[in-house]
Amino acid sequence: MIKKALVALSAFTLISTTLSGCAGGSVDGHDELHFSDGWVRVSEFSDHVDGMTGAFATIENHTDHDVTLVGGSAEIAKMVEVHEVVMMDGEMKMQAKDGGILIKAGESVTLEPGGLHVMLMGLKEAILEGDEVTLTLDFDGYDDQTFTWPAKASLSGDEKYEPKK
Amino acid sequence: MTNFTRRGFLAGASASAGALVGASAGALIAGQQVASAAEVAAQTAVLKRSEKFHGSHQNGIELELQTFTNFVSLEIHADTDRSAMQRWMKLLTDDIERLTAGEPILADAQPQLALGPARLTVTVGFGPSLFKKLGLEAQQPESLSELPAFKVDALREEFSGGDVLLHVSADDPIVLSHAVRSLISDSLAFASVRWTQQGFSNAQGVVPSGVRQRNLMGQVDGTDNPQFGTDDFKNLVWIDEGPEWIRGGTILVLRRIAMQLNTWDKLGRTDKEQVIGRRLDNGAPLGQKNETDPLDLNAVDERGLKVIPNFAHVRRASPTNPKERFFRRPFNYEVGTAADGTPDVGLLWTAYQKNPAEQYIPVQKRLDDFDLLSKWTSPIGSSVWGIAHGVKKGNVLADDLF
Ligand code: HEM
Ligand SMILES: [Cu+2]
Repeated sequence: MIKKALVALSAFTLISTTLSGCAGGSVDGHDELHFSDGWVRVSEFSDHVDGMTGAFATIENHTDHDVTLVGGSAEIAKMVEVHEVVMMDGEMKMQAKDGGILIKAGESVTLEPGGLHVMLMGLKEAILEGDEVTLTLDFDGYDDQTFTWPAKASLSGDEKYEPKK
Repeated sequence: MTNFTRRGFLAGASASAGALVGASAGALIAGQQVASAAEVAAQTAVLKRSEKFHGSHQNGIELELQTFTNFVSLEIHADTDRSAMQRWMKLLTDDIERLTAGEPILADAQPQLALGPARLTVTVGFGPSLFKKLGLEAQQPESLSELPAFKVDALREEFSGGDVLLHVSADDPIVLSHAVRSLISDSLAFASVRWTQQGFSNAQGVVPSGVRQRNLMGQVDGTDNPQFGTDDFKNLVWIDEGPEWIRGGTILVLRRIAMQLNTWDKLGRTDKEQVIGRRLDNGAPLGQKNETDPLDLNAVDERGLKVIPNFAHVRRASPTNPKERFFRRPFNYEVGTAADGTPDVGLLWTAYQKNPAEQYIPVQKRLDDFDLLSKWTSPIGSSVWGIAHGVKKGNVLADDLF
């Protein structure tokens, strides 16, 4: 089952896992989450104190149970949320994703600009290109994980933030 | 025909303009045929080949020519300081690791263009101007300084100088284009593009492997070079003293040399061969059979005349002492053709060496004094780069410089 679902992943994700290595402890890699290609976006929203920005990665669930990414924390941000991008009043906007991001057993989720992402809000410092940002992701059904990811610009991902009422 | 003078050469020029050598189009593959897995593997072999990034030297130098190349010169922003350089080099290191493996970079705007490795290499260098801007003069090797002016120079700003060089080459033009755009995107926070110079050599599978190719004057170019993997190459090219960041690196002199093909092609074959001192068909030295036969500068013909004339390029360029040698890795450029049919073509001419003052400059001075070839060639761009040593896995490019 796991094999089948993973075949659907792009070659990019699979190959990159070997490049970026896997977070998590187990040696055989068959009962863990694999994280690859993690990064944090630099934009005009993140180059000042109190700004915000997104963090992105590909997460593969190699365990035998569903896992949910529910939130996180970072030294550099007052608040970390899990976001989705939705169409609102004819515009793409982002907002907190109720219930978090579900990663089913044997499947994978790609967090990317314009899609699901982790939002760092209330930045305590500007984030510059080439900086390294440390953040912790919190899961239901899995241990929390801490990463240090590079910060870099990308053209896509400028959706406005629409706080939930 | 051996006692040419410069004037005799022009007067005796033959009227036939030879056909221009253009970049030949690749073979068409029938789109409809259903190929077996083995056939597909064979058809995409050029894409699958990869070059390593990590090592004691940067790649893209002691390496057989790739088919396509782009030299990108960047100028740092006024507020780019040493810590910004460190951040930039971190991004570039990660990018190059991924691109040479044939993968998209992080946050790639067009991951679908990372088709595969296609022997991509990226070589990073630093110009003399960078050290001044960053107050890093203490780290500037003595061997890295601006070149003196030469009489032949017709240099243009838009092809000369710069603070940081990204030299990117690959066997596929789309892979190359994607890599160059990716690297430039990740550089724009720190620098702007001063110029880019694109070039090409023979396609894969067209000439025997090596660093020789046909240049657009029709010559076999790159023959007389130090051999890869030898002590000779190491001793001529790889620096082993001075600041830490350049040990294991080298100095690159890049010259954009325009060719006047319309006047060149007025010469007949024999005249052309005399100008270089080598045969056009296979690149053999005049009087010899094979390309790799040694040059015999003392050989005379039955009339007692030198087989390789005094004005011949290979004679003028030959070392007068063992130090005056370097490694050349030549690419052609072709930018277009004017209304009257004059092509804008030439060489992206490179010399890699420990110290230009002892290696390239004496040879260039000798050619500056007299080299018949310069009647049909003129340097229109020039730059000098300190190429940092290679990157070990887990390290960052030039981490001991910034
Ligand atoms: C458009 C300009 C030039 C053209 C078309 C050209 C062409 C050639 C050709 C066809 C050869 C013989 C094959 C080989 O060994 O590669 C050669 C050799 C050589 N060229 Fe050039 N060249 C140019 C500029 C230069 C310049 C500017 C220099 C140095 C300042 C230079 C230095 C040499 C050297 C050192 C050799 C080898 C000589 C030997 O056999 O000892 N060339 N060149
Ligand atoms: Cu968001």
